Amino acid sequence: MSLALVLGGVMRNYDGEPVFGPFSHTFEAGTTSVVMGPNGSGKSTLLRICAMLEPIDAGSIRFYDRDEELNQDLVLRRRVTLVFPKTTVFRGTVFDNIAYGLRIRDADPSSIVERVEEALVSVGLSHKIRQEARTLSSGEAQRLGIARALAIEPELLLLDEPTASVDEKHTAFIEEFIMSLGKQTRTTIVMSTHDRNQAEKLTKQILVMKKGIIASNP
Amino acid sequence: MEYIYEAFAKALQLITALDNELLAIVLLSLEVSLGALCIASLAAIPLGVAIGLRSFPLRGLVLSIVNTCVGLPPVVVGLFVFLFLSRSGPLGGLGLLYTPTAMVVAQIILAFPIIVSLVQSAVSGVDPMVRLTALTLGATPQQADRVVVREAGTGIIAALVAGYGRLAAEVGAILIVGGNIAGATRVMTTTIAMEADKGNFELALALGIILLSISLMINAVLSAMQQRGMRRNL
Amino acid sequence: MIWMTRTLIALACALVMPFSASAAEILCASTTSTENSGLFGSILPIFEKKTGIKVKVVARGTGAAIENGKRGDADVVFVHAREQELDAVKAGYFVNRHDVMYNDFVIIGPKNDPAKIKGARSAAEAMKKISASGLSFVSRGDKSGTHTKELELWKKIFVDPKGQKWYLEVGQGMEKTQRIAHEKQAYTLTDRGTWLATKDKDKLDMGIVFEGDPLLFNQYGIMAVNPEKHKHVKYAEAMQFVNWLVSKEGQQAIASFQDKNGNALFIANAKK
Repeated sequence: MSLALVLGGVMRNYDGEPVFGPFSHTFEAGTTSVVMGPNGSGKSTLLRICAMLEPIDAGSIRFYDRDEELNQDLVLRRRVTLVFPKTTVFRGTVFDNIAYGLRIRDADPSSIVERVEEALVSVGLSHKIRQEARTLSSGEAQRLGIARALAIEPELLLLDEPTASVDEKHTAFIEEFIMSLGKQTRTTIVMSTHDRNQAEKLTKQILVMKKGIIASNP
Repeated sequence: MEYIYEAFAKALQLITALDNELLAIVLLSLEVSLGALCIASLAAIPLGVAIGLRSFPLRGLVLSIVNTCVGLPPVVVGLFVFLFLSRSGPLGGLGLLYTPTAMVVAQIILAFPIIVSLVQSAVSGVDPMVRLTALTLGATPQQADRVVVREAGTGIIAALVAGYGRLAAEVGAILIVGGNIAGATRVMTTTIAMEADKGNFELALALGIILLSISLMINAVLSAMQQRGMRRNL
Repeated sequence: MIWMTRTLIALACALVMPFSASAAEILCASTTSTENSGLFGSILPIFEKKTGIKVKVVARGTGAAIENGKRGDADVVFVHAREQELDAVKAGYFVNRHDVMYNDFVIIGPKNDPAKIKGARSAAEAMKKISASGLSFVSRGDKSGTHTKELELWKKIFVDPKGQKWYLEVGQGMEKTQRIAHEKQAYTLTDRGTWLATKDKDKLDMGIVFEGDPLLFNQYGIMAVNPEKHKHVKYAEAMQFVNWLVSKEGQQAIASFQDKNGNALFIANAKK
């Protein structure tokens, strides 16, 4: 239950100007990789392309479940998710926010409650379940964003600078959480950061990007 | 100054006496304005949502037409509807001139552009990250649209409040198409205009106070709906 | 979103049970002077009680009222502009026109009468004095019966007041016009009924400066919309109303109508 991702010569243009790529790399199933680089180096673009939120202008992006290549349709999209640097919460309670991904998958109500509670326990937000999501602090909101992604049990989890908008305490919590997630499940994790210490703490698979291309590869 | 005190005293007296004629006028006012608001909303909200969600060719043109119509002078709309519904006009056969239905028609035209315009700006004003976030969680494009519209809920209610405000205060159009007929098409605003014409300033002002109180209550109800909508689950 | 949609639908449904009109009602286009004086409020209930026909009144200026009848937007027209009425009858828009009642016009002005109108021998002379004095004259300017009468007077003395600095066209009803004249300390032409009914209430610092010329006679007439022009009109009911107004009973109802201050405002004069 995890996906592999193969990018070959992927390029992305804005207003006719090439800004990203050519980018070729394979993210193996069940591994944790970190993409590093300064602002504007193309980390976010890479993750958005992997999440199928952005089209590509050249090259190819392929998803594999073991040896089988998958169609890029809604079914695949629902096996992949992306957490943004600053979580946008929806109107409603913490529960409503986390349940959203399950409701649109028509999960049955009792399993929704169960999985929401599980996800909240794992990010340590159980006591906030009935709280209006908008009233959370930015650190709590970021944990909500991660719990919301976890609840749908993704097979490819993309994290775009997940600690960029939070304080030290929350940073430590999130880092630890990602480490244990990588160990416990077979989820493929691709995360971006500009913090080398953080990257080295989490994995040995570190890519460094500069101006839209890979500058160094382990 | 004494006018004001007398008007308040008179307003109180009118409310406590609650005579049938006044009650009929108040009810008709509500029926016409709220009716027009509801019917206009049924079409204007979906249209405003559609314009707010998507970019399409000529979107800018459509928007500037709608926004121009927001400023339509009620008397012009009234005259236009009058000419259409008059027995000698294209829809004369319906016999609708000088009926409450005609007043509703005129008010629908007045409310429609305001609602479209404000709903569109509420929807297009939603943080684009909302839509992206819904997509990352596996929403189809339609499901993502629904999340965006839900986030715009407060703005949509505000559009209804603004629309009601325009209709409740309006006199030019409904006077022309309704005729201010006693017991048939006389509403708060046309009565106020008539009483002011007759020089019954205290009575006119008293009616104005009642009209204002009713608008206040309706706004309170709508903002309660807004609060409830905020807490409501998906 | 569902709660909102539901509310909207419920309200829309509530609205669809409209406003059904009973068969026995007719629409009468008339003037603000008759409506605002309270005449209709006094005589219509008598007619309704007798015949079961409800008369709905749309009060506008005489010009607009006649136009309404011509377009078929009324069943019967009750106004005071004899020439225009007869023209419209001749053109085939109306039938069975009858004189019903009259009141008269008076010229009012500031109490101290700066233009020295008092003592003029005719309405024409009075108007000439006003135009020569340079003092302001307020005109209804709304094609009403009063306005029509005023224009007739100007024509008689070969004065074209339009565009003159002293000539203020306000496009308002009679009472408002009186108040504007009061504010501007100007002269104006008004009907005695409105004058008597409102001068005290509006605290007008004005007085009648000229009256009594037969030219200022203000005849009210009623006529039915020609059913051959507009098939939908309720001609039979309209004629019942016309006939009642000119009957002994209708004439008596008009004659006995008094305003709040006990003034008789109209003199019934139907020829039967």
